[in-house]
Amino acid sequence: MPVLRSRDIPPAPPKPPKSRSNVDPPATPTQGREQPLPAARLSSPHSLPPYPKTAGSVSGSAPSSLRRSLRLSSKGSSNAGDQVGLPEVEKCIESRNGDVSKKQKLSVDVDGGFESGGSRVLSLRSGEKVIKGSPLGDGDDGGGGGCDEVVESNKKGKSIVESEYIEKSKRNNEKESVDRKRRFSREEKGKGKLVVESDLESKHENLVGGSVPDVELPAEEVKSPDEQPSKRSNGRTNGGRMERFRDTARRNASRFAYFNAQEEEEEEDNNNLSMEAEREIPSVEEQIEEKVVEDWPGPFSTAMKIIRDRAANLNVRQGSSSSGQAPSVQIKWVPQKGKGKDGSKRLPPSLLDLSLRVLVDNADAIVSLDHVPDAMRHKLCRMLCDRRQMNTNLLDLLLSGSPTEIRLKECSWLTEDKFTECFEKCDTSNLTVLQLDYCGQCLADYNIPSTLARSPTSLLALTTLSLTGAYRLSDAGLSVLVSSAPALRSVNLSQCSYLTHGAIEILASSLASVLLELFIDDCQSIDAMLMLPSLKKLEHLEVLSVAGLESVTDKFIKEFISARGAGIKELILSGCGKLTDSSLKIIAETCSILRALDIGNIPKLTDNSFGYLASGCRSLESLKLCRNAFSDDAIAAFLEMSGEILKELALNNVGKVGHNTALSLARRSKNLVSLDLSWCRNLTDEAMGLIVDSCLSLRVLKLFGCTQITDVFLYGHSNANVEIIGLKLSPLLVHIKGPVESPLQYSSVSSLI
Amino acid sequence: MKKEDTVKLISAEGMEFVIDKEAAMVSQTIRNMLTSPGGFAEAEHGEVTFPEISAVILEKICQYFYWSLQYSRGKETEFHIEPELTLELMMAANYLHT
Repeated sequence: MPVLRSRDIPPAPPKPPKSRSNVDPPATPTQGREQPLPAARLSSPHSLPPYPKTAGSVSGSAPSSLRRSLRLSSKGSSNAGDQVGLPEVEKCIESRNGDVSKKQKLSVDVDGGFESGGSRVLSLRSGEKVIKGSPLGDGDDGGGGGCDEVVESNKKGKSIVESEYIEKSKRNNEKESVDRKRRFSREEKGKGKLVVESDLESKHENLVGGSVPDVELPAEEVKSPDEQPSKRSNGRTNGGRMERFRDTARRNASRFAYFNAQEEEEEEDNNNLSMEAEREIPSVEEQIEEKVVEDWPGPFSTAMKIIRDRAANLNVRQGSSSSGQAPSVQIKWVPQKGKGKDGSKRLPPSLLDLSLRVLVDNADAIVSLDHVPDAMRHKLCRMLCDRRQMNTNLLDLLLSGSPTEIRLKECSWLTEDKFTECFEKCDTSNLTVLQLDYCGQCLADYNIPSTLARSPTSLLALTTLSLTGAYRLSDAGLSVLVSSAPALRSVNLSQCSYLTHGAIEILASSLASVLLELFIDDCQSIDAMLMLPSLKKLEHLEVLSVAGLESVTDKFIKEFISARGAGIKELILSGCGKLTDSSLKIIAETCSILRALDIGNIPKLTDNSFGYLASGCRSLESLKLCRNAFSDDAIAAFLEMSGEILKELALNNVGKVGHNTALSLARRSKNLVSLDLSWCRNLTDEAMGLIVDSCLSLRVLKLFGCTQITDVFLYGHSNANVEIIGLKLSPLLVHIKGPVESPLQYSSVSSLI
Repeated sequence: MKKEDTVKLISAEGMEFVIDKEAAMVSQTIRNMLTSPGGFAEAEHGEVTFPEISAVILEKICQYFYWSLQYSRGKETEFHIEPELTLELMMAANYLHT
């Protein structure tokens, strides 16, 4: 008597023999053995709709047949017709292959025995494929206790399923025990008990593709103790049953992987947990223990499988028998005290920083900035703006002579009058870089002609222009400005809320052949689709930032990337909430030289995006995520594939980041310079330590909001070069270093002349 | 101070400052000059000339070298800079990569 997996065991099985006899298919040469039904049938706490048609099978197998019929009918089986339940199943299969009938019979028998195993019955409901076991010659251990045959109700691949089914059942004849054991394994991304699984894996090796679980009871007994706790944990609610269905489906999914050659079933939605969802990864041939529903190109899916198996194997080794607990991949890292970075020891500040600080303190006393190189000027201005000590005197100093570069990261202190006064007399003929961020207060349409655009040649040398926050700048004003600056390569008009798509037309009309970089973050009056024609005219666009523009949709991305995607090197799409995986697909397929991508705050993206990225964008050096819903496995698999060249990675608030990602980072990211793991609360000290000690190029690590990190990591890691930001209460601005400011991000100015 | 352990830094006016090699190596630029395998004259003679850095500034720079060594050995004090020197000092420090 097999130990039943289900807890619910009705006192007496309702006439099992009857059901069996009824379901004998006419053409099925039985193997002479009838699957003994378990004495105790899993009573379905779930009510089954009465099945009027199967008169014969009403008895013991009624419930199962009922359930099965329901499922089958839901599948829309062509054969469903009138017959439902076991007979129907047999029919379907029979129609395929005469041999199958044999198996069918077995399955029928097994079905009869389904009652014994509640899971089996339940699994029928779930639409999982019923693998016809081969109880041939198996010890009659008292009814198919462990028959885990689930008829797959896969609508898409029904024919395949059936044929697979047949083949599998053929193969299964010899490998019953293995199958059975496999069936019982519950592996779902490392969840569940894999202890048994590991034993089976060895046996599985000779199995290609799936193997039909057989109904041997001994194995089931072995399993059942494992199963039961998990089963119990599932609860008896419908939700729990669904859970089990899914689990069984996942378990069985691998059996069908073998038939990828015949047909590849792919499902778009990875997260679709509907019961009829059983798809296969095209490239996977070995057993997969989990449900695979992703639509990924081959290498990525293999990487995903590796990640998941890694977790699975680790679980096996640990012998964890958690029920419903997501086991975490173990990370072995021991803090090496006394080695490497000594927490208390600090590097002496550089003379440059020291003198700069003193200079800023005494900025009023600066008489002249002649001969000071532009880089120094920018550092000075940045510090002054941060301290809000910038004033018109210094601006005059900056503008004196014939300046080449002016970078003011913040001009909110500048009034319109002073702006006009200062720039009226400025010689801008050599100006190559002009950055006046947050200049809304001082810059308007009417004072441009007198200050910046005094003549059509006043800004001849200007290649980089940044006028963010110019909320009074209209399309007309921009037109005047652009007419004086025909050599513009990079234009940043973020947060210029007055601009419309007309502004893009203006840019396209005069700068179509030269413009390389365009930033229009948060320009809410610009409609993406309306500006699309003009945008497509920009022949050499390398950098496009449309962060925060709600009108950016998949359609926009599709059309723009099809036109200009081949030359795009940086794409900033953060906050474009309407984008979905299809946009990422197109980007990955077309933007082959993409170097930087920002897809933060796009909630609809799923793991499929990573699949596309991993296979498509092979030059990706900078990836920024923020508040995305990606899973740990997907990120880890992506890193396995593309982590070598990655220099900058931001996983800000990507909550599911965990140990798999940490391991992949440690193994692959040799060139990583900047890493942002703020708000990733699943990472432990050990994970952080492993990352930091392995990523030897790492210089900046941001850990805002990671309250789980303790001194164990902070003082125990041995990477002396990394700077950890965000954990202790220290002035923020101390850490925020300005970006490397060159006029253009991906080209050098001289190369354009 | 042995000859082998020292370098001579020569300012624009010709004033010479003899300091330890270890101190001079605080400057990345000087370090590269002295250690690169290019057979530079500086490496051979142990002398580096700075035609654009005045003596006052160069003196301050040498003081910074020793202060930096002291700081990394644990004695953390403050390095005072006269305001009138800061601009030139900053540019020299940028050049010397220190």
